[in-house]
Amino acid sequence: MPALAGRRNVVVLAVLALAALPAMANPYILYVANIALIYAILAVGLNLLLGYAGQFAFANAALFGIGAYATGLFQVRLGLSFWAAFPAAVVFTTLVGLVVALPALRLSGLYLALVTLAFAQLTQWVMLNWERVTFGAGGFRVPPLTFGALAPALGLYYLTLLLTGLLVAAAWNTVRSGVGRALVAVRDSEVAAESLAIDLARHKAIAFSLSALYAGVAGGLYSALLSFVAPEGFDLFQMVVQFSMVVVGGLGSVWGSVLGAGLLVGLQEALRAFKGAQEIAFGLLLMACIIFLPDGLISLVKRRARGWDEPLRAPDRPA
Amino acid sequence: MSRLVVRDVSIAFGGVVALDGVDLELAAGEIRGVIGPNGAGKTTLLNVICGINPPDRGAIALDGVPLVGEKPSAIAAHGLGRTFQATQLFRGMTVLENVMTGLHGRLTESVLGAAFRSRRLREAEAAAAARARDVLAFVGMQAFEGRLATELSFGQQRVIEIARALISEPRVLLLDEPAVGLSLNRITEVDALMRRIRDERGVSILLVEHVIRLVMDVSDRITVLSYGRKIAEGGPDEIRADPAVIEAYLGRDLHAGSPAP
Repeated sequence: MPALAGRRNVVVLAVLALAALPAMANPYILYVANIALIYAILAVGLNLLLGYAGQFAFANAALFGIGAYATGLFQVRLGLSFWAAFPAAVVFTTLVGLVVALPALRLSGLYLALVTLAFAQLTQWVMLNWERVTFGAGGFRVPPLTFGALAPALGLYYLTLLLTGLLVAAAWNTVRSGVGRALVAVRDSEVAAESLAIDLARHKAIAFSLSALYAGVAGGLYSALLSFVAPEGFDLFQMVVQFSMVVVGGLGSVWGSVLGAGLLVGLQEALRAFKGAQEIAFGLLLMACIIFLPDGLISLVKRRARGWDEPLRAPDRPA
Repeated sequence: MSRLVVRDVSIAFGGVVALDGVDLELAAGEIRGVIGPNGAGKTTLLNVICGINPPDRGAIALDGVPLVGEKPSAIAAHGLGRTFQATQLFRGMTVLENVMTGLHGRLTESVLGAAFRSRRLREAEAAAAARARDVLAFVGMQAFEGRLATELSFGQQRVIEIARALISEPRVLLLDEPAVGLSLNRITEVDALMRRIRDERGVSILLVEHVIRLVMDVSDRITVLSYGRKIAEGGPDEIRADPAVIEAYLGRDLHAGSPAP
């Protein structure tokens, strides 16, 4: 018997509510919902890399930025339309993600974290200093998007909703397949994975390029939402925000990441009036979750309601 | 006919010679015990065969296919399965998921097919689960399929690891001390399981083990290593009586150089 508050019912209800939201909400609420959807894409993609494949990498904020910059610059510098620039930027970001995967084939743990952190700083530096291409610290405006008869904000919202739905479903399907098991195998024991014919390099590359693809899509949508691209949105704090969403929601849980993204975007907006309070609140929430709820908020849902089981589990923590 | 041929294999780690010109031929349907004192190179031999440590010299072939220089994952895909001294189950998976992961080399799904959960993928997943249940039944662990790997006892984890290696139907199985830390009852079960793997599934087994009773009982032939060299090879009775083996294990008698009793 399917549980009333089971995942299927809740997800269907949430999608219906999100689809109907523009009819009820004011532009500000719609904007916040749009941001939350973009972060859901980011968090789910990062979770594939961090929670499932166990690759401790700090590149996701930079890749989000590369997706946004590439979408914007392909329009402004090359004169492409958004509909050509956006997919091209996603492909470009995915390829950059593959390059970031190269050191991961040799490094792990702390060393991988350091190399990817250096990559993130380098990306910031390029955004700030390669002014002839990136317009430097001031950023640049992106041509406003049009959707024919549909209002731009509405059109972008539905595009975001569609892509979020597709990408979350794709991630959910992936972790329920042999690909998902292979990623977790690489995370839990590299020698055992290899002894079962799982190619480490191939699966690390899959994890990195998937998370980069998600970050690229999120970045392109973000640039369209703001009609503006600047370096500061893609710094280390952005990485903290994404990590928080994944950990607060639940490492190794696709639905946890969706939950974490929604909650933290809500929190961020609620605290917008109090400058500096966001960082403090995020830090406290992250610490509280790591100490008291290591499997994230989704573990509370799983305990209270039936029908939320997921295949595969969070990475093991040393006791 | 020889399944696995190891010819003149040597490997050194930073000047320490771990294996020195080792030869070994594992016949089809044979259980071969590999024994030797601590540090004799037994686990190194397994790691060299499965590609974790490529040998400095020598050749290895599985059914005529050369293995040296291939990645461990490629060697596994040729039909070589193994278990580990310190059990390496995937801790984030259930027992069933662990065993299904063993089928990886046989699944031909693409990332795209997985992301869209194609009909072909769903069928392959169902078939993989069914096969995993068959193998779990074969090792007598079908009741545990939904449990997390970490919830099982030491001995149960060992058996699941064997099932995970078996599901891809390897032709050769390398077992690294499957009996260490087990009770006598459990050791008897491992003994019976190895015979069934050989007899019912036609798998050749290379067994590295310290529990001599088990090796003597289950092995068709035994290879003895000491300080990286092969010092003896033969049936259990020959090995038991071999003076070189006795000396390697017990040392030379202080009086008159005769072997210790």
